[in-house]
Amino acid sequence: VKTNLAIIGQGAVTPAGIGIDALRTAAPKPQMTATLGEPKTEFPVLRVDLKDLAFARWQKEPRLRRASPITFFMIEAAEQALRGLPAGDRAQTGLVVALSAGCLVYSRRFYEGILRNGQRTASPALFPETVFNSPGSHVASVLGLNGAVDALCGDESSWLSALKTAAIWLRRGRVRQVLVMGVEEFDPLVLDAYRSARWLRQPGFLTSEGAAALLVRTAGPNDKLVIARAREGLPYRTRAEAKFAAGDLFDGIDATIPCHRTARHTWMERLEREATASRPEFSAAPAPHLGTAFTASIAWETIRAASALEAPRGLVPVWGLNHRIGYLELENR
Amino acid sequence: MADDRAPRVVVTGIGAVTPLGEDFPSSWDALIAGRAADAPLELFDTSGCRAHRACSAKLPDLPNLSRKALSRFSRASRLALPAAREALAHAGLLEADGRCTRSDLALSISTTAGGMAFGENFCRDVLAGKRAHLFSQVERYLPQQQVLDLQQDFAIRGPSVIMANACASGANALGHAADLILAGESDCVLAGGIEALCELVFVGFDCLQATTTEKCRPFDLKRSGLMIGEAAAFLVLESQAAAEARGATILATLSGYGHSTDFFHLTQPQPTGSVLIEVMQSALREARLTPADIGYVNAHGTATPVNDGPEAMAYRTLFGDALGATRISSTKAAVGHTLGAAGALEALYALYALRTGDLPPQLNLQEPIPEIAPALVAPNEKCSDLRHVMSVNLGFGGSNAALIFSR
Repeated sequence: VKTNLAIIGQGAVTPAGIGIDALRTAAPKPQMTATLGEPKTEFPVLRVDLKDLAFARWQKEPRLRRASPITFFMIEAAEQALRGLPAGDRAQTGLVVALSAGCLVYSRRFYEGILRNGQRTASPALFPETVFNSPGSHVASVLGLNGAVDALCGDESSWLSALKTAAIWLRRGRVRQVLVMGVEEFDPLVLDAYRSARWLRQPGFLTSEGAAALLVRTAGPNDKLVIARAREGLPYRTRAEAKFAAGDLFDGIDATIPCHRTARHTWMERLEREATASRPEFSAAPAPHLGTAFTASIAWETIRAASALEAPRGLVPVWGLNHRIGYLELENR
Repeated sequence: MADDRAPRVVVTGIGAVTPLGEDFPSSWDALIAGRAADAPLELFDTSGCRAHRACSAKLPDLPNLSRKALSRFSRASRLALPAAREALAHAGLLEADGRCTRSDLALSISTTAGGMAFGENFCRDVLAGKRAHLFSQVERYLPQQQVLDLQQDFAIRGPSVIMANACASGANALGHAADLILAGESDCVLAGGIEALCELVFVGFDCLQATTTEKCRPFDLKRSGLMIGEAAAFLVLESQAAAEARGATILATLSGYGHSTDFFHLTQPQPTGSVLIEVMQSALREARLTPADIGYVNAHGTATPVNDGPEAMAYRTLFGDALGATRISSTKAAVGHTLGAAGALEALYALYALRTGDLPPQLNLQEPIPEIAPALVAPNEKCSDLRHVMSVNLGFGGSNAALIFSR
C-alpha cells in the first residue's frame, strides 16, 4: 500500500545548528565526553547547543519548565515545519513521534537517584518526564496540535512506522495533516551502551542527538515530491540475519532507481555498500556527517534525500540498528 | 446502526497472562468470582517506598525453551509469549510445531517500559563499575526486543509497530491495528499490550503518591491510589472477509475507536472530563452508535484521587439519563494497573462481558462516587442482552482512548 505523502513543511535541530540548512553544515568539533561508568574514559560526541537563541522562547513556556532536552529539540523542529501552515489548521494536525532511546536524560537521572540516594528520595518532578509520550504531549499542547498524538518506539525503522501511521490517519480522515518527527537526546549512559555493543570501535562512529520534523499531507496532483512508499523489510536479531535482510531489501526493485545511502559509520555501512553496490547514488551536497542519533538521523537523511532527488524515483534505505531494515521510496512527479 | 456493507474488523482470538491467571479463561473466571490479586511485592526491594503491594503475575512455564533461552528473555517477554501463543491458537493460526500459519502477520504492540528490568540492571552495573554482561542487558531491555522475541518464536516477519502512549497504549495498539486493516495495510494483526513490573516505574508512581497503601478502590470517595500490576494481553484482529474466508470463529467486531490528547496537565485529566467525552463520542461516531447503545463500560478507574472524579463526570455527561442502564466497572481493583497492557487487557474483559453476559464487578466499593454510583457493577451481576461494550483508557501525557466492541 502506498503512503502517498507530500512534504509541506520541514524542520531540523542538529549539532551543526538549527534549521534544515544546518543539514548542509559541518558539525562543530565533537566534545570528548566521559562514560557514566568510567569518568576517565571519554569518547567524541556531537551535541546540540541548547544555548542557541532559538531555544530561549521555548524555555519560557510554563508547560516546559521541567522538560528535558528532547522536548526542546522537538518543539523547535516542529515549529519550523509548521511555519507555512495557517494557524487555524493546527487544530486539524496530528503528531506522530518516532523515538529509540526516548526520554533518556531524565530516566537515567531518576533511576540513578534511586540507586544512589534511595527510593525515598525519588523525584516526582522527573518521573512524568521519563515517559515516551511526554515530549509529544508537550509539543502538541504548546503548538496547539489538536489531532491525535502517538509515540512510537523502536530502532530507526520506527521512522517507517511513523510515516505509515501518518498515511493511515490521513487516509482514514482522522486529520488533515500530520507532523512526523524523529528525535533523540544524548546521555552519557548511551556511551556505556554503545561501548558494550562495540559500536564505538567503528571508524568514524559519532554519538549524536537532535530532531527532525516533516509536515505531511496526502499528495495531490500538483505535488512534485512524494514519499510514495514506506516498506518494512525483514526483522533480524543476529548480524547474519541482518545480512540476509539487507540482501533481501531491494529484491525485485528496478536496479536503475538511485539510492541515497544513509548507513554512515555504523556497522550497517558494509551491508549497505553490498546491497546498493550496483545501484546509482543520489545525495545532497554537501552532507556532512552529523553522527548517529537513530530516528533523528534517518529523519535528517529523509530531508536530505528529498532535497537531492532529481530522478523520477529514489530509494532511502532505513538501517535499523537493532530490529529491522527497510526503505522509503521517493517520487518526483 | 452500522452499515452492513462497510469493511469490518473482527476479533478471532484472545489470550492473556494476568495476575489472576496464566491464561485468559482462568483470569476471567477469577475476575468474575470477585478475586483481587494484590499481594506483597517480592520482585524487588520496596523498603523505601510508601506502598509495598502490587499485582504480580505467575510466569507460565515455557517448556519448549531451554533454560539458557529463558534466561535471555525479559520478564515482559515471559508474559508476552504465552499470552500471544494463546491468542494465536485460539484464532486457529498456529501450526503443530508452534509457528504461526501467517508468516506475514503484522504486530501492533504496546508497552511503557519494555524489558526495563534489564535496563535497570545495566544502569546499576555501569554505576558500580562492572563491565561484564553489559551488552546482553542493554540489548534486551529495548521494547523492540520483546517484539523480536514474538517474531522469532512464531516465525513471523510482517510489519510491526510499538505504541508507547503511556497507560492508553494498549487501546491505541488495538485501534491502530484496526486502522491497519481498514486502510488495507494488513488483513490480520496480532495486537496487544505487554507490561512487566519493574522498580523504576513502581517507584515512579510511588513518589508521585499515586499508589495506595490500602485497597485499590476505583470510583470510591475513599479511594487512595492505584495498585501497580503487570500483564500481557493479545487479540487477533482480522478483516471480516479474511476471517470468513478461512472459516474462523468471530468473537466480536471492533466497531469503534477514538483517541485524542488532553492537554490539561501531563498527569491529570481535564477536571470536567471533556476530552474523554470527545474521545468516547468519536468512537461512538465510528461505530454509528449512541451512548444508550453501550451496555457495559470497562472504565480506566485507576482509583487515584485525580483520575476517577473527572472520569466519572465524563460518564455522567455522556450517558446522561441512560447512565443507570449502562453498567460500569474498573477491573484495576482486581488485576492492578497494568499500564502499557491495560488497554488491551481491559478490552478483553469488556469483550468477554459482551460474549458471556457476566459483568466484572466493581470491587472494594465503600462509598461510590455519587455521579456514577447507580452504574457501578455489583457482584454476580449479569446482563444477557449486551450488544455493544466500550473500553476506556487514559494515560500520562493526556493520552485518551476508547474502543467499542459489538456482537
